[in-house]
Amino acid sequence: MNSMTRMGGLALTLISVLGRSAPAQDARLDRLAPDARAPVASLIDSARAAGLPAEPLVDRALEGASKGAAAPLIVAAVRRLSADLGRARDILGRAAGQAELAAAADALRAGAPPDVLVRLREALGVRRLAVPLGVTADLALLGVPADSAATIVITLARSLGDDDLLALQRDVERDVALGAAPLAAAGGMLDASPTGIDVTGAGTTRGTPSAPVRRKP
Amino acid sequence: MRELEDELIERVAEALRQPVHLDAALDVRVMAEVRTRPLRRSNWFLRSRTIRVTPLGALALAAGVAALVLGTAFAALRLRPAPATVSAASAVPFVLVAPEARSVALVGDFNDWDTAATPLRATGLSGAWVVTVPLPPGRYRYAFVIDGMRWLPDPGAPRAPDDDFGTPNSVLTVGT
Repeated sequence: MNSMTRMGGLALTLISVLGRSAPAQDARLDRLAPDARAPVASLIDSARAAGLPAEPLVDRALEGASKGAAAPLIVAAVRRLSADLGRARDILGRAAGQAELAAAADALRAGAPPDVLVRLREALGVRRLAVPLGVTADLALLGVPADSAATIVITLARSLGDDDLLALQRDVERDVALGAAPLAAAGGMLDASPTGIDVTGAGTTRGTPSAPVRRKP
Repeated sequence: MRELEDELIERVAEALRQPVHLDAALDVRVMAEVRTRPLRRSNWFLRSRTIRVTPLGALALAAGVAALVLGTAFAALRLRPAPATVSAASAVPFVLVAPEARSVALVGDFNDWDTAATPLRATGLSGAWVVTVPLPPGRYRYAFVIDGMRWLPDPGAPRAPDDDFGTPNSVLTVGT
């Protein structure tokens, strides 16, 4: 009888431990179709186990659900994003947070070569990369060559805060929307930089700023 | 009366001031008595016991504990995970000019892509629709939904690099 009691205790302990260690499925995934839910949850669990942020993956799945996408499309999108985040993490290191990884993944998708991210990380340190990486990615998405975008951002980020960088990016967005060439518009960001640098390769170096940082009204 | 009380108090105090002489062998006698008493284990929890459990009872007990554990886990699953860090949010305005629209909603990473969560308000000026959303620092993908069915990226923001579901999104970086 004593051994029976011990067996019962062991069984209870196992049940308790297994119950505690089972990965919790996000209740928001209930919005997915049943045939998408399990594979997406599995991808998210794998990403989490690999140290990647789960929230962007949940968001991507929810986006697909809201748009009425078919299950295979949702699963493929989550898988692709997980791979992108993994690539970004390999480049930036384990200290990179969710915002840094998301921005780096966008930059890679926009065509930025990995060494651009390495340059940013080495120049600025991984702790405050979220906004500079985001601006680099957005400039690349606007059509600025990724290498030039990174050079501009590295130059500016050494002397400007995140809010100023974002304000300058909005100026570039506006200029491009009004018809300016993306690289020329991005080069205008350096008007606010205390140190000039040639990003166009034309041999001209932009000098000390003649105007303060422009802000969108 | 008062004098009688004072006198009584003085007599009691005098008696208390007298030194008490104890027998020199008192300690020895007390300790000898203590040693003769049996040692009592007063801690109920340390006493060994035998518990008899039938197999059916053990199963019932296991089922009860399992139900408790699984019930707790299930309740936890229904809860949305809290954000890892709490950061100050910035009020971010979103504007879309859509004169023909009857309704405009904002959807994105910040509201679980819920088309009912963040409706825009018509300003009545040139068909502009606006909403201001508090957002913590981070990078967000978003889009507008017009009349509940037409998805549209923000024309004033960069496009997201991927178009996994056939309708493009915009991206937004919010700084500290």
